[in-house]
Amino acid sequence: MSQLFDYEKQREAESAAKVRALEALLIEKGVIGSDSVDTVLAHFETVAGPFNGAKIVARAWVDPEYKARLLADTPKAIAELNLAQGMDGAEGEHMLAVANAPGVHNLIICTLCSCYPWPILGLPPYWYKDPVFRARGVREPRAVLKEFGVPVGAETKVEVWDSSAQIRWFVVPERPANSEHLNEEQLAALVTPESMMGVALIELPAI
Amino acid sequence: MKLQHYLGGLENLGPVDFEKRVFVQEWEKRIFGIHTTMMAESAHLIDSLPRYPMDTLPTSFKSDWTWASLRTGAEGMQPFEYFKFRYYEKWLGGISSFFINQGYISEEEFKSRADFYRKEPDAPLPDKPSAPIREQIVRYLEQGDSGMRPCAGKPLFAAGDSVTVADPAAVDHTRLPGYLRSKPGKIVEVYPGAFAYFVNTGLDGIGKPMPVYRVAFDAADIWGVEKSEPNTMIYADLFEAYVQAPV
Repeated sequence: MSQLFDYEKQREAESAAKVRALEALLIEKGVIGSDSVDTVLAHFETVAGPFNGAKIVARAWVDPEYKARLLADTPKAIAELNLAQGMDGAEGEHMLAVANAPGVHNLIICTLCSCYPWPILGLPPYWYKDPVFRARGVREPRAVLKEFGVPVGAETKVEVWDSSAQIRWFVVPERPANSEHLNEEQLAALVTPESMMGVALIELPAI
Repeated sequence: MKLQHYLGGLENLGPVDFEKRVFVQEWEKRIFGIHTTMMAESAHLIDSLPRYPMDTLPTSFKSDWTWASLRTGAEGMQPFEYFKFRYYEKWLGGISSFFINQGYISEEEFKSRADFYRKEPDAPLPDKPSAPIREQIVRYLEQGDSGMRPCAGKPLFAAGDSVTVADPAAVDHTRLPGYLRSKPGKIVEVYPGAFAYFVNTGLDGIGKPMPVYRVAFDAADIWGVEKSEPNTMIYADLFEAYVQAPV
């Protein structure tokens, strides 16, 4: 655990007691049901999550025509796939894909809060919500990408997408070199949430 | 100005913490689940696209709770407090204050119940499941709450237009990133339709349905050539109220 999250135990115990008290009172007063929170969490385990985005990316890699459709009309192309959830849903009412390519690297950010395409990526990891990422990503994206292990040269154009209104962006990363022997399912297994927000490249596992 | 509106571009912060987990503590899952249930039960959904049967949902929750509620709370915090608290700590503070201020729970009962769970962290929660609420949560997560509405008039700008970002008075909450205020950009896309926002932000200018534009900015035009990285473009989606003809 990094230092930022390494608070004294008391702080966490205090928050845990407060949130449990809040949930208990809301259940007693009929605001929520005792199964409500678990219903929400189950959705992000099984229906909405990065496993959806990984399928979309892998399909785009193996089928260039699908990739073209995905970039031209993202919701329609997502709806073509048999995902547990259709094309939209909360925080994904309007999604758009942008593709990395030789000479172009995309980075998604939300400098004001933590907007993120829930239906296909699930919930944002902590780094995406970190005020430091939100502050620096838009000003010095190459410096931040380098810290994340993604060197992007000056000759490559960096495109930063600030999620400031309705659109929830995601990145179609580049297919790793020498992956011709992998099928669509094996390719999907390589795709990480980080790669779909632009802060990681996809590499083949070492043999 | 409010520091939280100007996070984008803030310098001298040190390295990013590359923590890949969504939740670092178990309790964070519970506050996320409470927040999302509130969004699924929000009274405003009766007028949303798609329509939800909010008037018949058996819940005592009768308030609006949208992303704007959480964002307004976070943007309204004392800025140094904002950085002191972790992400979901801000949610816990904002949501519990909301329920107390709105009269759903009293401060005293919240305190005494928290005391109880501090001493008995594993004591069970009350057992009162609700199938109709469960179904509404799933409906909401699957169908969402789009702000898209028919566009009443003609958008003021078209793709290719040079524009300047407006600089409205800073109020409680905005969807205009501070670093873009007064900067020059170019419209690259006019989104079809018009978009409402969850609340009326007053002097800031959004709320009623209006066109939204994708605006492209050269990083050098925002930060200056010396303080920006080369060959970098920034795109933001801006409501029409935030976009003006070049000055």
